[in-house]
Amino acid sequence: MSTLKLTNLSKRFGGVVASEDVNIEVPAGKVIGLIGPNGAGKTTIVNMITGLLPVTSGTIHVGNADITHAPAHEICRAGLARTFQNIRLLGEATVLENVMIGFHRHETSSTFAALLGLPEAGRETATLKERAFSLLGEFDLQAFADYPASGLSYGHQRKVEMARAMASEPDFVLLDEPIAGMNDVESNALAEIFMGLASSGKGVLLIEHNVRFVAKLCSYIYVLDGGKLISEGTSDHVLNDPEVISAYLGDAHHA
Amino acid sequence: MLAQQLLNGLVVSGVYALFSLGFTLVFGIQRILNLAHGAIFMTGAMVAFYTVKGGGPLWLGFILAILASGALSVLVEIVCFRRLRKTGDEEFGGIISSIGAGLVITTIAQQVSSTQVLRFPFETFPVVIFKFWGLRVSMLQLFMAGAAIILVLILGYYVYRTAFGRRIRAVTDNEHAAMLMGINPNFVYSQTYFLAGALAGAAGVLVGLAFNSITFLMGEPYLMFAFAIIILGGLGSIPGALLASLVFGMVQTLTIAYLPSGLTDTIIFASLFLILLVRPHGILGKEDAGNLRGRR
Amino acid sequence: MSGIIAGYLPLFDLYLIHVGLAFSQYIVLRAGVFSLATAAFAGIGAYTAGIFAVNLGLHPAIGLLAGTLTGMGAAIFLSIPLARLRGVYQAIATVAFIQICLSLNVYSESLTGGAMGLNNIPKTVGTGTLFVFAALATYMIWAIERGRLGRAFNAIRQDEAVAASLGISITRHQMLAFAISGALAGLFGGLEAYHAYALDPNQFGFHLLITILSYVILGGRNTVLGPLVGCAILIILPELARPLAENRMVIYGVMLIVVINYVPKGIVDTALDAIRARRLKMREETVS
Repeated sequence: MSTLKLTNLSKRFGGVVASEDVNIEVPAGKVIGLIGPNGAGKTTIVNMITGLLPVTSGTIHVGNADITHAPAHEICRAGLARTFQNIRLLGEATVLENVMIGFHRHETSSTFAALLGLPEAGRETATLKERAFSLLGEFDLQAFADYPASGLSYGHQRKVEMARAMASEPDFVLLDEPIAGMNDVESNALAEIFMGLASSGKGVLLIEHNVRFVAKLCSYIYVLDGGKLISEGTSDHVLNDPEVISAYLGDAHHA
Repeated sequence: MLAQQLLNGLVVSGVYALFSLGFTLVFGIQRILNLAHGAIFMTGAMVAFYTVKGGGPLWLGFILAILASGALSVLVEIVCFRRLRKTGDEEFGGIISSIGAGLVITTIAQQVSSTQVLRFPFETFPVVIFKFWGLRVSMLQLFMAGAAIILVLILGYYVYRTAFGRRIRAVTDNEHAAMLMGINPNFVYSQTYFLAGALAGAAGVLVGLAFNSITFLMGEPYLMFAFAIIILGGLGSIPGALLASLVFGMVQTLTIAYLPSGLTDTIIFASLFLILLVRPHGILGKEDAGNLRGRR
Repeated sequence: MSGIIAGYLPLFDLYLIHVGLAFSQYIVLRAGVFSLATAAFAGIGAYTAGIFAVNLGLHPAIGLLAGTLTGMGAAIFLSIPLARLRGVYQAIATVAFIQICLSLNVYSESLTGGAMGLNNIPKTVGTGTLFVFAALATYMIWAIERGRLGRAFNAIRQDEAVAASLGISITRHQMLAFAISGALAGLFGGLEAYHAYALDPNQFGFHLLITILSYVILGGRNTVLGPLVGCAILIILPELARPLAENRMVIYGVMLIVVINYVPKGIVDTALDAIRARRLKMREETVS
């Protein structure tokens, strides 16, 4: 089984240490949590994994592929998809078009065919449209297919973003604070989708602020504070760890 | 005569400084590249010319030119940019909108001047040449240098020493926070544009006097040079623009004097290109110009 | 009747050439590159084609091919440094590139004719040829738009981080957009050379840049119809009345200000959005 594996991952900005020797493993078919109070360094980790920040030392592997220094667009090709903390849809495009672009990794028609409008390019567009539409069905979004993505409600936009990430058929999904700003009903619906991803064999790394949500969902949890992992294990273990409790003390209302 | 060339270059630098300081000031405060700035500069020269032609004294023409260019600059801000700032599309839209404004202003000027080259009457500015240490300096050159230095000092005093300057810098840092502090950003913007336009207008008069040739297209090369200057100095940086004007004026004068004519522009713009690549935020700038997202 | 048509033929020829150039500008903007270099690429193509015909006496087809390839080569060359820049910095760098081309052109007098321009180019291109090439260019832009390149360009323009996260190589796609832009500009520059007898260096300067940009801004930057319509309006408008023709540049200027402030997507895109919204609304009403 392949894993998403961070080994001794470190990031320093000049003399400031943003993360230090972080080791995280996300096996296929599991939902793994990464939690930590504000400023713990979660975003730094996300940005390093997704290629938005250069890694200072350590490695990142997806299966056998080393993506430590891969440019952002190659990380997707290695089988890692992501969602963004503040939802980022293509606002001018429709919901369907947003999902269609997710299939980019699997497009096969040649540049030449695309330039000349050869039938193969047209067929590909038609096929992608169908696949995107049926993917929207899995997220209950078919009714919105032709609407501009920017006009949808927050919860629906989040689901469109999920669908777009799924379109690349990733082996691993990185979810960056996916339930921020959502009510319980909406977040419960998303929780089911996340569990569904894991049971279909994908590895899920859930980066969250909301400890209760993570504890309910994840089989294994890593806790980050001050750029370092201070605890890891099952939710019972982690939530009773005195170090975690003290790290979250200032943030107790979230627990 | 290297010393003579350096002296001439110094005078030219002063004019470039007047032109590009306003250009960079506006970019610094709004991140808008005002491509109508060359047309505003040209307007200054025209206003001075028509004042003198109408029988007015040159000093009056100079003052009217400064006021008219400043006012025109404010008008451009209100008409072209104010709405764009609200929609947040000022970077792309600002360039388009100001190209439009530049077109309108230059075409009107073309019709007013009947596409003619305008020349001040003989001895509008007394032709007096001083000689010392083997150098020749005209009174006009002294006047240009003096005017440039005084105006730059006034600008520096305003931006760095007065409450107005503090408001400009507050709005530059954070428009929203400045508003909460009771600063009306639109008023600050208008003042900034007035200053920028006034300086450009003054530069226009000086250039018009120096070459005694005023045309509706005279702003275009200066706009192009100002690109090079404000990139060299770092977009939005006042000390940077000042220093870059000095370097640019010298280099340009020397290349014209010592290199095959016709290659000057190539050298200037090729070096602008290189600076953009090597150090896009300029010699004194600190902006993150590349804005490269991720390691691509 | 035929006299009227013949009278408008030069206008139609101008339209066909400028449509090609407008597409050259359109395709880079669509891919999220703020390049204004189309005028320079057109100049490079035109002069290459012109020199091939005048100095070397080669067949126009070879000249056009050479113009297209040099335009494309210059664009690919330019795209490498430009990939490091964004926004206004790209705009400034491309304007500098135009200036470099202009002054080199004037300087290389023995090759290009310098400030006097390149004269006595045999006229080998007529309305028919122009029409065929304009139609082909329109078809290619349309094909790009509905295939995977159009989708990738759209994603990059709207959000580079999202595009990269979905596996789209920004550098590669923007270079491709540049190559297409340069090839189109080179080709239509070459057509202009073989259509106009003579070339003047200043023909490919700031003025052309503004004209081409105006077509795309007015028409719209998201559909193939945008440049077609924008170009038509701005070419026909000054012909409707003499005062309009005399103030052509004022019209362009006012148009740029008004459109970018009030119809920022251009008239075709805005109209299409409105039609789409209406259709959705009607569908909702029939459902409920």
